[in-house]
Amino acid sequence: MKHNTCLLLIAFTLFGISCTNDQSCTQDRIAKMGVGFYTHALIDTTKQIYATRAINLDTLSVRGLSANGTLIDSILYKSKSIQKIYLPLNKFESSSKFVLTFKTAKDTIEVLHTNTDYYLSLECGCMKVHSIDTVLTTTHLVDSIKIINHKVNATNADHIQIFIN
Amino acid sequence: MQTTYKYLLISLLICFAASSIQAQDKQDKKPEVKTPKVKWWDGMTLQVDAASIASSTLLSKDVYSVEAGAQINLKNKYLPIVELGYASVNKTSLEDIRFKTNGFFGRVGMDFNLVKKKKDGKLSPNLFLMGLRLGMTNATYSINNMVITNDYWGGNQTLPESKLTPTKIWFELVFGIRVKVVDNIYMGWSLRNKHLLTTDKVGDMSPWYIPGYGKNASSNWGFSYTVGYKF
Repeated sequence: MKHNTCLLLIAFTLFGISCTNDQSCTQDRIAKMGVGFYTHALIDTTKQIYATRAINLDTLSVRGLSANGTLIDSILYKSKSIQKIYLPLNKFESSSKFVLTFKTAKDTIEVLHTNTDYYLSLECGCMKVHSIDTVLTTTHLVDSIKIINHKVNATNADHIQIFIN
Repeated sequence: MQTTYKYLLISLLICFAASSIQAQDKQDKKPEVKTPKVKWWDGMTLQVDAASIASSTLLSKDVYSVEAGAQINLKNKYLPIVELGYASVNKTSLEDIRFKTNGFFGRVGMDFNLVKKKKDGKLSPNLFLMGLRLGMTNATYSINNMVITNDYWGGNQTLPESKLTPTKIWFELVFGIRVKVVDNIYMGWSLRNKHLLTTDKVGDMSPWYIPGYGKNASSNWGFSYTVGYKF
């Protein structure tokens, strides 16, 4: 009798384990483009050798520029000292424009990208991941831009380097 | 007269000899212990999984699953089995994403009875089983009402319904017991460790639930409580 009770208890415990509750999504669903600020530092004046060095910007604010040319109200970044920023690309357009306002100048960068659906789970649904094709920029304070990683997904990786004059 | 006595004596001697040989025979034959012979074919059990029915009706409003099996007993040691079932799922996530599937699934495999003979040579009607299954389903799946929001830039997009028909194959490690309740009625439970052999490409639409396998993951656990009749 004791033996049977024990077996029944095991059976019901296992049965209980097999039943699970609904879960909410805990995954990050926004793919952001990692942007680092750099400068070409002259390390040998005689041989004119430059090295890439990360820099802290004194003042920076970033806002998106919609396709019709209007600034989006929401400010993405407003900081007094910043070395790296993460920007959300437009999920439904193949171009995302950002206005970077520095202390003394303003530049606009345009990221041309493709968007792909990326299924996560039933709890989280789908997100968009991007592949950066080209980055265009005005050159008031920005010197150049280098793409170091084309694939933009939910990981906080560096994707482009902006070189400041 | 002498001849008559002679024949009588000879016949008595023969009778004595015969009876003594018979007695000797009886002494030589020790009482035999009859050990039941292990039969090559020891019947077939038809069984239904009560756990999936109970789970479908009492616990889960999203998943409905039924399954039954036929298992033959060879030499009370090898028990090949075929299991067939049907599952229907209508699940809505907390974010209102809807997943639907319905389809049949099947498994084939073999259990091994680990119960040894009793000391008196009798076979136990109860079985302690370990086994393997190979499962397969080619059910159809649909996922709809998946919305992607463009948080910063504004707007949202509802993705078109996705119809999937992948063939899913998996194997299961089975461990369980089966007990004779009355006459030919058997009950038992088994715990199953399932491993998917056909996985989905990361980022592609994939089913939330696979009939016969359970929730879609590289490995999964299952439990069954069977009630069966042995023929």
